[in-house]
Amino acid sequence: MADILLAFKAGRAFRRENTNTVEPSPVKGAIILTAGEDGLFHFTWKNRTTGVVDEDLILFPSDASFVKVSGRTYVLKFSSSNQRHFFWLQDASTARDEEFVNNINKLLEDPEADLIWNTAASTSQPQASTSTQATSSTAPISSTAPLIPPEQLAQLQALLSGQRSPAAPEYSLTDILTPANLTPLFNSHPELIPTLFPHLPPDLPTPPSAEALQRIINSPQFRSAVSNFDQALRTGMLGELVRALGLPEEAGTGIEPFLRAVQAQADKDRSSGGSEDRMDTD
Amino acid sequence: MEEGNDDSHGWNLTESDPGVFTELLKTLGVPLIVDDLYSLDPESLAALQPLHALIFLFKWISTSGDGPSATSGGEYDRDFPGFFAHQVVNNACATLAVLNALGNIPSLTTGPQLAELNSFTTGMDPQTRGMVITSADWLREAHNSLTPPNAISLDGLGLPKSSEDAYHFVVYLPIMGSLYELDGLKQFPVRHGSYETSGEGWVKKARETIERRIATYPGGALEFSLLALRDDPLPLLEAQLSSLQASNQHSEAAEIVVKISNENTKRQRWAFENSLRRHNHVGLAHALVAALAKAGKLENAKESAKKAMKDRIEVRRAKGADMSDD
Repeated sequence: MADILLAFKAGRAFRRENTNTVEPSPVKGAIILTAGEDGLFHFTWKNRTTGVVDEDLILFPSDASFVKVSGRTYVLKFSSSNQRHFFWLQDASTARDEEFVNNINKLLEDPEADLIWNTAASTSQPQASTSTQATSSTAPISSTAPLIPPEQLAQLQALLSGQRSPAAPEYSLTDILTPANLTPLFNSHPELIPTLFPHLPPDLPTPPSAEALQRIINSPQFRSAVSNFDQALRTGMLGELVRALGLPEEAGTGIEPFLRAVQAQADKDRSSGGSEDRMDTD
Repeated sequence: MEEGNDDSHGWNLTESDPGVFTELLKTLGVPLIVDDLYSLDPESLAALQPLHALIFLFKWISTSGDGPSATSGGEYDRDFPGFFAHQVVNNACATLAVLNALGNIPSLTTGPQLAELNSFTTGMDPQTRGMVITSADWLREAHNSLTPPNAISLDGLGLPKSSEDAYHFVVYLPIMGSLYELDGLKQFPVRHGSYETSGEGWVKKARETIERRIATYPGGALEFSLLALRDDPLPLLEAQLSSLQASNQHSEAAEIVVKISNENTKRQRWAFENSLRRHNHVGLAHALVAALAKAGKLENAKESAKKAMKDRIEVRRAKGADMSDD
């Protein structure tokens, strides 16, 4: 059984034909780097839903690098060829992104890098005698340093058996754009209501009004759209979309960056706006 | 779009709402509407006459136990001469059910595209018929026209809908003197036998068959609803109103006015909801967040959202539920 050197949740993304856009595939997966039974270094991508390893690349030291494209999207590129494989990090939390990426590049540079490679264990043990499978929780191979730190092993087990990590998002856009938050806003700042009219459906059978707005924010269609937008923002892939909204690309990398960017824009508009606005901030 | 994983063939999942169905019928050039049916009792059904078909939509919510037997009391009609197509793409299930119903209503007015599709597929076996229907671009566009427009990034992400499983649709209607059940996932139409033409007619047999079917599921294991495919009542009501007014029957006329008013209110609601269905709400969502920001209320909203999420997680944890929602 191959020794797993590093693994983390990632999905694939594919370049849309004839364009420069890379579109993420929502399929849950994992990038797994292994020292194979063949003695070679494998970069694999496994589908966490089906359990099937859909991609298996053999890499030579310093041939490949894992480079950030934008947000949480990365590309595996090669100096030896024009091959490009795009991936996006799927862990709910971004806290370990940098760590994964640094480690992966270390290994791509040198598969025997100090990180988690134990040469004594992997080269001297014939595969058959290794009683461990990667998902086993017993110390993998050697009685010296464990091949994989226990904390990572637990996460790896969960990952390979298709479960998600326990990290949950801190908050959701669907809990921000609630009638409970928005109705008081309409009451206290009625002057903001007309600013929303241009965004209502153009074929709405009734003319734009505060009442129509109330109906819309309570509707299942709107709430479903907000939920979708929330999930889409979480993937960090919305750089292009938010630019179309007049926001910087950074705003498409997550919920927090999005809210920050919108607040920044509102503050900028306010400070460059009329004097009435300035009076509000006293 | 993702490679290789997409078997929706471009058909979006639609809501199973009467307003959505009725809009589809309008696009097909068919003068029928679809209404919610809350009860199968004789009065409710009589109020919807002329009634052409009942649509039973359901999903199992319990994974344990099998469903009822394949023909649930009827028998396969392997020589069925009418219109029957197999469901080839899951997301097309609602439209396919409607087509299976329409294809068996005699002397039905339809638009030219549907007429051509029907005549083109005459004599085809159900599987081929299903495939031809599913490849009709104009039909797919009509079907998709009531799903949210695909903002590029949102589409590519293929975000899961809140209830991932589509409802399954089964049509019950009278054909050649028997009650038939048309289920696109079954190999053949199911004939449930003849019905008395007097009194309630076929709907009585339909009620019995459907109630028997519902009773075969363990309690609470079935989530279902019923829709009625019927003549558009407005033209008839308006004609009735004119004639009652002309003959000075004012109290009867007043009753009709109320019915017309109720019907119009319902249509307005459908039109409002359909306009929301077609709309890309991202701009509005952004504008609302911006409005909160301008009013200095965004921080508070964020804090209350954090609390809401925490509470939700606590509740789930207390229930010992699966924590795997990202």
